[in-house]
Amino acid sequence: MSVFRGLQDSAFTNWFLGSDSIWTYPTVLTLHTVGLAMLVGASVVVDLRVLNVGLEMPLARLRPLFRVMAVGFTINLLSGLVLFISKAADLVVAPIFYVKIASICGALWLGSRVKRLIVERADPSLRDIGARQMAAASLFLWTLAIVTGRLVAYFAP
Amino acid sequence: MQAFSEWLEATALSKQLFDLAWLWPVCECLHFVGLAVLIGGAGLLDLRLMGLFRGVPLRAVKSFMPWAIAGFVVNAVTGLLFILMQPHLYLSGGIFWAKMGFIGVAGANAMFFETRLSGRALTMSADDEMPWKLRTIGIVSLFSWFAVLYCGRMLPYLGTGN
Repeated sequence: MSVFRGLQDSAFTNWFLGSDSIWTYPTVLTLHTVGLAMLVGASVVVDLRVLNVGLEMPLARLRPLFRVMAVGFTINLLSGLVLFISKAADLVVAPIFYVKIASICGALWLGSRVKRLIVERADPSLRDIGARQMAAASLFLWTLAIVTGRLVAYFAP
Repeated sequence: MQAFSEWLEATALSKQLFDLAWLWPVCECLHFVGLAVLIGGAGLLDLRLMGLFRGVPLRAVKSFMPWAIAGFVVNAVTGLLFILMQPHLYLSGGIFWAKMGFIGVAGANAMFFETRLSGRALTMSADDEMPWKLRTIGIVSLFSWFAVLYCGRMLPYLGTGN
């Protein structure tokens, strides 16, 4: 526990949160939203396609969207680590933060299954592999991740 | 604008909405979900217009547009509620008007595409090189939506209202 307290009370955190510059906390927070838009935005498109939106788009053509997701995820992993450090002690005792992290892990796992079993297959049988259920669960988990992420500000102030 | 903002904040509607303690966080959650759906759907069309996803017919990416529009509607409604609840945070700050400006650019750009260019664009072969006019539409749209996101997220830090 003291490790997290140490991070939250560190000189880095003092500078990061206390600086008047817009290039510290505000910019990292904004990058976290940019990454969210790329990661979740691209995931939503893939999930909707699996759920029959835009059927003229061949599933295999969705592949570049996984690159958009990877970039968005990288931005959010890095910005998220910095944001976590600045609030570490409060976050590790906030249950809602664990719900957020679990939702993201679940959604990423589903995303990798969709990529492997559907997008990278030549002729996937969507019904056999429960593709629609995977896509619906992915949409649900991303929504939960966004909602709990937003509410962290209220439950771990 | 200052006077309007003060008048709005003094209205019974503004006070009643502001007194609903749950409404603000609920609107925030919806606003973030809405932005992901909007940028996901619109971004796909923008990337296609920029020449990516060659071989995919424009019709196919356009079928995601109702979802992007739904995301926009959610954000317009929740955004309006934010303004009604705390007008001084928004109406008196330049960054808010910059955000509205970028929404205007994105909207006008989409309208121009829809009314002047999309008819011919939809008859193009999916393998054709994208003409520069359509590439420009895609770049302007993608840039504008991320500029909207930037202004919105930075609003508490760049805005003058408090």
